[in-house]
Amino acid sequence: MDDYATSDDDYHYSDQDDSVDGFDNDDQDIPLLSSKAPSTQVITKESLLAAQKEDLRRVMDMLSVREQHARTLLIYHRWDVEKLFQVYVDKGKAYLFAEAGVSVDESRESGSSVRSSVLCEICIEDVPSDEATKMDCGHCFCNGCWTEHFIVKINEGQSKRIRCMAHKCNSICDEAVVRTLLSRQHPDMAEKYERFLLESYIEDNKRVKWCPSTPHCGNAIRVEDDELCEVECSCGLQFCFSCLSEAHSPCSCLMWELWAKKCKDESETVNWITVHTKPCPKCHKPVEKNGGCNLVSCICGQAFCWLCGGATGREHTWSSIAGHSCGRYKEQEKTAERAKRDLYRYMHYHNRYKAHTDSFKLESKLKETIQGKIAISEEKDSTVRDYSWVNNGLSRLFRSRRVLSYSYAFAFYMFGDELFKDEMSEAQREIKQNLFEDQQQQLEANVEKLSKILEEPFETFSDDKVMEIRMQIINLSTIIDKLCHKMYECIENDLLGSLHLGIHSIAPYKSKGIERASELSVCWNNKVNNTGVTAELDRPSGSGSSEDNSGCSSRKRARKEGLGGGGGGSDGGFFDLNLPAEFVDRN
Amino acid sequence: MIDFARVQKELVECSKDAEGSGIKVSPKTDNLVLLIGTIPGPLGTPYEGGVFHIDITLPDGYPFEPPKMQFATKVWHPNISSQSGAICLDILKDQWSPALTLKTALLSVQALLSAPQPDDPQDAVVAQQYLKDYQTFVSTARYWTESFAKASSCGIEDKVQKLVEMGFPEAQVRSILEAVGGDENLALERLL
Ligand SMILES: [Zn+2]
Ligand SMILES: [Zn+2]
Ligand SMILES: [Zn+2]
Ligand SMILES: [Zn+2]
Ligand SMILES: [Zn+2]
Ligand SMILES: [Zn+2]
Ligand SMILES: [Zn+2]
Repeated sequence: MDDYATSDDDYHYSDQDDSVDGFDNDDQDIPLLSSKAPSTQVITKESLLAAQKEDLRRVMDMLSVREQHARTLLIYHRWDVEKLFQVYVDKGKAYLFAEAGVSVDESRESGSSVRSSVLCEICIEDVPSDEATKMDCGHCFCNGCWTEHFIVKINEGQSKRIRCMAHKCNSICDEAVVRTLLSRQHPDMAEKYERFLLESYIEDNKRVKWCPSTPHCGNAIRVEDDELCEVECSCGLQFCFSCLSEAHSPCSCLMWELWAKKCKDESETVNWITVHTKPCPKCHKPVEKNGGCNLVSCICGQAFCWLCGGATGREHTWSSIAGHSCGRYKEQEKTAERAKRDLYRYMHYHNRYKAHTDSFKLESKLKETIQGKIAISEEKDSTVRDYSWVNNGLSRLFRSRRVLSYSYAFAFYMFGDELFKDEMSEAQREIKQNLFEDQQQQLEANVEKLSKILEEPFETFSDDKVMEIRMQIINLSTIIDKLCHKMYECIENDLLGSLHLGIHSIAPYKSKGIERASELSVCWNNKVNNTGVTAELDRPSGSGSSEDNSGCSSRKRARKEGLGGGGGGSDGGFFDLNLPAEFVDRN
Repeated sequence: MIDFARVQKELVECSKDAEGSGIKVSPKTDNLVLLIGTIPGPLGTPYEGGVFHIDITLPDGYPFEPPKMQFATKVWHPNISSQSGAICLDILKDQWSPALTLKTALLSVQALLSAPQPDDPQDAVVAQQYLKDYQTFVSTARYWTESFAKASSCGIEDKVQKLVEMGFPEAQVRSILEAVGGDENLALERLL
């Protein structure tokens, strides 16, 4: 997919047009929404180590600890550096360390070299002291027992926090010891251990999640704050970071979950049949009710009462059947009517939801056609040189189609009984629904207009007419963007915002569409400050100028060479946890 | 693989002071995978005077994985299933440490008999009773100890037999015996 959003196109519209009916063209509020630097990043296999170095280094510097201790602390606090520091400030270093199982023992090397053998309390054997290992907590056991212990724990899936073997010792085993002992006889286990440790950054971190693509692209996405947002992975998949299903705003995650389930559920169809047909008491074929009368007749000739399903004669009036009084009219009628009403309501919303989803699919094909038209136009001898407005209009169309289709799922729940029955009175609901539907209709009308104009054969038009259609597309795009923005605002503030149940919130509207996560690339030779507090992570800035991007990719290449050379010796340079964080700075 | 050398040592170690602790571990079969542990009911508890047998199965990874233990003797206790004898004890699960031994584990089980933890129950019925009607819990536990953990002494069936022969209805005899924790004299008082 092309990046539609590399230029600031959307915000220059107002320079070119002066009057768009009824709309304030002052675009000052819109850039606020998207002027923030991209806050999401793709973490690949290659950058996974680099991604966590920054956090590790902050903790190492702050607490003056070795990298493995920083990692143990971070894993315990689920990679939430701020929370970790908060515990440090509130409760002190000793507490922080004890809680996470970090023991720092300075006397470790000097201690036990006096005795030539030690009794290992696990295997109950005397072993030469060079075949035993003492952990930071002071507990010493033989290497064979340690190794067995590590293997059992890794197989149990507890690699990330392997505790000491001593009873009631909460200390986490030194990862360097684990690595060294395992690699002697079980290199496969050592590798597994390494991978689990590395992936903890993804597994145990609320700011990082695996991309939900299938087959899996191998990437993870990191967001700046753990807020609700929608992202696009570098593999092209767009998803809701919060629930990991497709991007669904302006639906809340719960609404989307319910809606997706409802759409899949065939019980709706079953429901339709039970609402609309009843089996004939004679031949058992389903018979559909036509019209209001409660006497129905089957093609086999049998007449029966719709209310109780019992066979009857044909003699009847509007309200009674001769010789038949089942008296079930009232309740039956009520539930049947209700089911029918619910079903029609669902069908109403679903049809519109589906219509926009279908249009979206059709319009995706339009993209190719339009590239063809642009190519033809550019060949022409014409004063119009720039056709970016066509592509911009097209991406505006795609984005607003999405919004429209999901807005129907939203409305189904917002104004239905399922979720918010007791949240508002009938009258309140009606007012809100009118407000919302008014906005939705405006948006819909403009989106259809834009769709239609984009299909025009502009490659055959005269320059004047091309300029005219250009104006129309630009104007419509601006209007649509504002309408979408307004609709999200209305949903956030007037609709969801007024609910007592605070569990529904939606990802914010982004003028430029769902944010593509930027490749995480650490610029190694960048900004080594004296304190070394931060590893400067290179984030393409929001202005997204092309120089910026190319600059970054070349630096990325440089990094790979640097690391590959420096980290040599181990087969997977990027996975080498032995690589001290300082190495990164020096390089 | 199970570290049989260690298991062997454990058994020797344990038999050394079986007199003092009353805790015994002996192999059920000759392959040392299945063992049987014995603990005396702690003094001052409804389990006092009882002798409880515990089936022990050693997993492949022993001692790096915890031994599996289950009461073979029926026992009425919030943390022990009255049906299966399954034990709810942290050191037999995630708090196991390879530095623990079969003997220390059995000591922990014995300690559990003295100090039930009804908030983390294995048997919900027993736990409910323990919390809501402690007296009934105690007498039921005592009755079970009498009935199932005292093979040698006069069994509960004999007592039932005796009282029935004295002319009391069997159902009543059983329920009263249970209520007084198997004490024949107390039961007789109540029946009269
Ligand atoms: Zn050992
Ligand atoms: Zn320790
Ligand atoms: Zn992906
Ligand atoms: Zn979601
Ligand atoms: Zn029929
Ligand atoms: Zn009729
Ligand atoms: Zn009828």
